[in-house]
Amino acid sequence: MKFFLTTGRSIDQGVALEGQKLGRENVKACAICEFDKDDFAKLDCMIGTPVKVTTNFGEIIVYSQISEQGPHPSIIFIPMGPWANAVVDSETYGTGMPSYKGTEAEVEVVKSGRILTALEIIKSYK
Amino acid sequence: MKKIKNFEDVVCPFCGTLCDDLKIILEDNKIIEVDNACAIGTAKFFSSNVSEHRYTKPMMRNNGKLEEVTWDEALNKAAELLANAKRPLSYGWSSTECDAQRKAVELMEICGGVLDNTASVCHGPSLLAIQDVGCPTSTLGEYKNRADLVLFWGSNPVHAHPRHMSRYSDFIRGYFRVDGHLDRTIIVVDPRTTHTAQMADMHIRLNPGEDYELFNAIRALCRGVELDVKEVAGVPIKQIKELVEILKSCKFGVLFFGLGLTMTKGKHRNVDAGISLIRELNEHTKFNLTPMRGHYNVSGANIVFTWSTGYPYSIDFSKDYPRYNPGEFSAVDILKTNDFDVTLIVASDPASNFPKDAVINMLKKPLISVEPHKTPTSEMADIVLPPAIAGIECEGTAYRMDKVPIRMRKVKNAPEDCMADYEIIEKLIEKVKELKGE
Repeated sequence: MKFFLTTGRSIDQGVALEGQKLGRENVKACAICEFDKDDFAKLDCMIGTPVKVTTNFGEIIVYSQISEQGPHPSIIFIPMGPWANAVVDSETYGTGMPSYKGTEAEVEVVKSGRILTALEIIKSYK
Repeated sequence: MKKIKNFEDVVCPFCGTLCDDLKIILEDNKIIEVDNACAIGTAKFFSSNVSEHRYTKPMMRNNGKLEEVTWDEALNKAAELLANAKRPLSYGWSSTECDAQRKAVELMEICGGVLDNTASVCHGPSLLAIQDVGCPTSTLGEYKNRADLVLFWGSNPVHAHPRHMSRYSDFIRGYFRVDGHLDRTIIVVDPRTTHTAQMADMHIRLNPGEDYELFNAIRALCRGVELDVKEVAGVPIKQIKELVEILKSCKFGVLFFGLGLTMTKGKHRNVDAGISLIRELNEHTKFNLTPMRGHYNVSGANIVFTWSTGYPYSIDFSKDYPRYNPGEFSAVDILKTNDFDVTLIVASDPASNFPKDAVINMLKKPLISVEPHKTPTSEMADIVLPPAIAGIECEGTAYRMDKVPIRMRKVKNAPEDCMADYEIIEKLIEKVKELKGE
């Protein structure tokens, strides 16, 4: 299914970044993809099932969730962090600001796939 | 016998709201209670207690592993890397106090490096727009006392500035807004029905990335131009007309805008359109705007860098005088073009917060991290210099999102012999000068 990906702050992400960045708190807060309720029904999976989010800039596996901040049909939300940043467009168009919001994304449910921790993602870049 | 200490009116060093009414209870230099703060502010104060998440001693990479070293060893090596670098990049600086920011300018000037703060991936585009068209603005206190219309555009304070609405923009009673929430109209413009939108009197759900179109449609309708379309940016014309009437008829309006404008297509042009709308509305009523700044002292970083160099962020010293060019000297662009040879990161975690290809390049070259907590950036760094946490373990000045400076307090001692950020940078300056023979 195709979506618009937006990324940004969430209060859980904010709490997790205060001294918990390498821990499970950060994974629980940020390694998630929030769907509009009706969009999620079309995915035909249980809440928490891993989904692979693919864009022109990369792919990442995160937990699926129904958004508490809906409706927002055709928009998916991943809180800011290494998971979201694995798939956003780094182009700044001369402003210094990458395009963190509004990336076109494809989502598929994955039956198996490990959700990486923040440090595992960054280590994979070295 | 345990020693209990109480602190009142403590300033919270988390977001740009810079709440200054916290109560902290300390037991033997350990924070045991935080009152009045939001969930994130509370977590920040508790995170200062020594734990497995916090560095207490400098670290250096040896055979691929970070190992404890003395301050002298770590500072000497960091200074050597900076002194020998042709073009060091220093980034971060928004979650620390103004003295450290002042020292940042001095260090990068000596090194001929590039200096950027987190505004470049936050409200940098807003600064570009403000430089182009100006910014009618005011303080949060004025908004609290006067504003009867509050417009949040691309901003979700319930999550990003959790006490903003209760302290300044919605629930609080003001001098002319005696009934608080009941005396104000709250409007949210956002593609998602955010928790802030769920509490608002009106939610305009626009298509993602079409803010520019919507701003200009509102401007046209404000001028009495009829639009020959049924909707703009996915919003029915009828709803836009209703919004225009509310905006024009308020006594004192304020636009708080967030990264929904700066991170989407259009970036600074969106903010430019927003400011132009405010200018338009001032033909009919009183209207101001204020960016919802994220890091508690990102405003301070912009102010200190501006009074020191003339520019708020993305500053290059390679020609011995400061040059400003976001898109070229901004951290993400410097990293993407590989135009650096060492990075000095202070009070920030770009490994988590930058797009993947910028991070990949950052990790290819020596990395120095001045950071109290274990983060993906610090754990990948070659040198970690752990500071005292500004606003908790050392005092300093920070600028609120409305550019009001507030003096932050020290409530506890830093672990071991951790120094304040500005002391660490001061020592680096001394050593770099020595190595460069200055």
